[in-house]
Amino acid sequence: MRLLRGVYEGPGSHGILRVAASMRGVHAVLRALPSEGYFPALYGASERSGEAAPVTLSPLGESQGGSWEPGDLARDLSNVVRRHPETEAVILARSEVALLSGEPIPETSLPESEETGQPPKLVTCEWEAPDVGETEAANLALENLVKAHAQSRRERSPAPTVNLFGPPVFAPAAAAEYAEAERLLALIGVGVNARVPLGASAGDLGRLTRAWANVLLYREVGESATLYLQDECGMQRVTTPMLGAAGTGAALRTVGELCHLSPKKVQQAVWAELARTAKLPWYARLHKPETFRDRRVAIFGDVTYPLGLGYALAREVGLEVVACGTYLGHLERDFLFHAHTFTDEAFVEDDPEEVAARIEASEPDLVVGTHLEEGVADSLDIPFLPFCAPTTYSPFVGRPLMGYTGSSVLADALDGALGLTEEEPEVLEPAGMPWADDALDELAGIPPFLRGRARRLAEERAHELGSEEISREIFLQSRL
Amino acid sequence: MTILNESGASDVLSPLHAVNGLAERLASALVVVVGTRAEAHIAQSLPTAPSPTLPRTSLNPRVAFVVLDPEEPPQQGRVASRVIETAAGLRGTELVLLVAGRSAELLGLDAEFEARLVARRLDLPCAAVNPDASYGSPGALSTDLEDRVLASLVAACPERKTSDLLENASPTKRGGLLSGFIGRGRDEVRAGRSRPVVLLGASTSPESAREIYAHLDRARVDVVGSVPGERAGDLPALGEGTVVAVMDPNLTAAARAAEERGARVVRTLMPIGVDGTARFIQDVAAEAGPRANEQSRARAAWKGLEPLRNRIRGKRIFFAGDTGFEVPLARFLADAGAVVLEVGAPRLDKRFLATEIQALGPDVDVVESPDWRGQIGRIDAARPDVVVASPGIHVPLVARGHLCRSPRDFLESGVHGYEGARRILELLVRTFERAEALDSVNL
Repeated sequence: MRLLRGVYEGPGSHGILRVAASMRGVHAVLRALPSEGYFPALYGASERSGEAAPVTLSPLGESQGGSWEPGDLARDLSNVVRRHPETEAVILARSEVALLSGEPIPETSLPESEETGQPPKLVTCEWEAPDVGETEAANLALENLVKAHAQSRRERSPAPTVNLFGPPVFAPAAAAEYAEAERLLALIGVGVNARVPLGASAGDLGRLTRAWANVLLYREVGESATLYLQDECGMQRVTTPMLGAAGTGAALRTVGELCHLSPKKVQQAVWAELARTAKLPWYARLHKPETFRDRRVAIFGDVTYPLGLGYALAREVGLEVVACGTYLGHLERDFLFHAHTFTDEAFVEDDPEEVAARIEASEPDLVVGTHLEEGVADSLDIPFLPFCAPTTYSPFVGRPLMGYTGSSVLADALDGALGLTEEEPEVLEPAGMPWADDALDELAGIPPFLRGRARRLAEERAHELGSEEISREIFLQSRL
Repeated sequence: MTILNESGASDVLSPLHAVNGLAERLASALVVVVGTRAEAHIAQSLPTAPSPTLPRTSLNPRVAFVVLDPEEPPQQGRVASRVIETAAGLRGTELVLLVAGRSAELLGLDAEFEARLVARRLDLPCAAVNPDASYGSPGALSTDLEDRVLASLVAACPERKTSDLLENASPTKRGGLLSGFIGRGRDEVRAGRSRPVVLLGASTSPESAREIYAHLDRARVDVVGSVPGERAGDLPALGEGTVVAVMDPNLTAAARAAEERGARVVRTLMPIGVDGTARFIQDVAAEAGPRANEQSRARAAWKGLEPLRNRIRGKRIFFAGDTGFEVPLARFLADAGAVVLEVGAPRLDKRFLATEIQALGPDVDVVESPDWRGQIGRIDAARPDVVVASPGIHVPLVARGHLCRSPRDFLESGVHGYEGARRILELLVRTFERAEALDSVNL
């Protein structure tokens, strides 16, 4: 039992729904209380595509036997096929209440679809449990879907192609990340066989084995599916995160090797891009070393982005990564192994207050994180870049962070963030003001992520009143 | 008027989305959501007022989540001690709400017990709120949490004993929301020996509740307080002999809680729209003692609305909302001259809303538990001028070229009273004006 101020991840069912809503022809049935439906609203607000979310609620515990009301899970599953004849796969997600209620999954088979003449595949996610979080569930659900559809008979495409395993819906600028990767692969002469899961259809999943290799853009969701394809079909995978110019170059070179391209041709394409599109190395060279010296950055988020951005910021830009963390406990070993290549301060934590405290303690000049870290950066009065999932940022035109274009986006953001603080006059006079003990006691009662701001307000108030010390009264006044 | 039960899966936003809004509205309350990760995620991901724009997420210090470990059932009293720790870190907490739904129940948490423990240890009212408690009929409304919270507040109100009836209601318990009005000629009103009235509802728009209060005050009705009050701790005495006037159509559980306390709940129209407000004031006044006649006022209100009515006359409106306010809004708009094509009600308490349903015009159809796909199909077929749409179907409907408004927009603008009637019409007129302006652009 834990007391939290917020959560980074939703329940497992949310992850399954995200994967299902990313794909075409996949319909999800959510077994939950009628009061647990929020995916369609979130989907509308963040995707703004105009499509209704492919999710049907099967209300738990409301079925009044014999009536045709929804509530009977087996019947609701087959009704989906009847109502949506274009469905090629039905995936069942159960909310935590449904899981805790111990209801068994009905033994059922789906009726034939009117459009295809075959019953759609049914994926039941039997591994679902209350302690499987959103990301892990998305990863396993994608593996199940790939298993259900992928054909082991291997017949490679004549020209080299790869599958892209990237982020699902709700990830910031997901579509732009796939597009950038696809653009770069085209430059070295590699086609994209399928984008998984965003925009993939069941047919695409069946054709996955035609590709020469799998490129894992977002390992949080694609890990198990690509491992399955590696074990079953011998498809090799590229796991280097395509973040920063170095990471992108490394990933492209590996793809080139796996697709038997001439290393020279790949290198030429990389150089051409470095000259034209990739501005991060250019940015790092243009600025004087003093801009970056002793600049401290704290990074927190999922796995791919903190690792990729951390590496790029530490090595390519030369910032000091003073904290780098993830909330994905099930990827802890992997994360720490990679993070230790560029920082000593890697950690795993999923309590936003603890994360805030760690970031605060590391005294950074810049915070790169999820939307939950915005408050910390705000209270420390330092710039913040919302580059890690989950974010509430869902623009109409997504800008990639991956690939060479992404490195330029990163350079722009850094230029804005680091340039701003540099010019700030370093007065901050009230900072050293003494605090009375009882005032400090009051301050300790405030959640860490609000503490910085409260401290600042109190000091401003004391300044206004012309007081030398912050007493408990001044502190309480400043909080009104 | 016909009621059709479609027995479908309705699009209803999870009631838990209201947690942040309630914490803001009930200043000085601490809201603790107890459950699994799912509840915390819902409460955090959904914006205070759901609209098809970005969900903004800000961490509200007055909202905390206790996430239970599914493997390890919580020990009795552990949740309470966590809540007490949290409350200790916050100044000026007057009320603690322990929101614990089905998952906490399944994990073996006795929320009532924990709430009693918190109340005893902190010496503050603490109420357990179960957002998933059954209403007897299937389906949910996105405003269920507000209803359950008000029900808990009603239960937490100080008891009103029969002996109090002889004396005047204790003056210290009044105030808060109404304090601006109280004191003016109050003694003279009390001489009229009206029964004390408690207003229930309007949690999203306290301003419109003040208007209702002013009208009742004018009718010499003795309003002793409201639930919710201005601050979370302001609770009027409520019990036998109190008249409870329910202002919102979704407050089934809160009204039942008031009845269980022995209060008399006035069965009348909701004070939404001109006729609704007039009937409400008349009936509440009649129940409380003094007689009131609102006819001339209602007539004047209708007359004042004439220019706005001309703008919406003949407009075809489709209600596909999830708040439970759809029936009274449809009633008013049909009276004002609009054509109401269909009123969707994800859950309809026919007994509680009997007066409202009777007052619906003959041409208005109500669809109970509508299927959201069926709704989209009927909207496509009927091509209404405006759809009041729940969040899940809002964006798909806009994409199909329909003009949409979120039902929460109405609630937040304040629908109660004669001025509320004006605000409802103005909101619609604004919607049409903007759509016309955008349509006139040559793209």
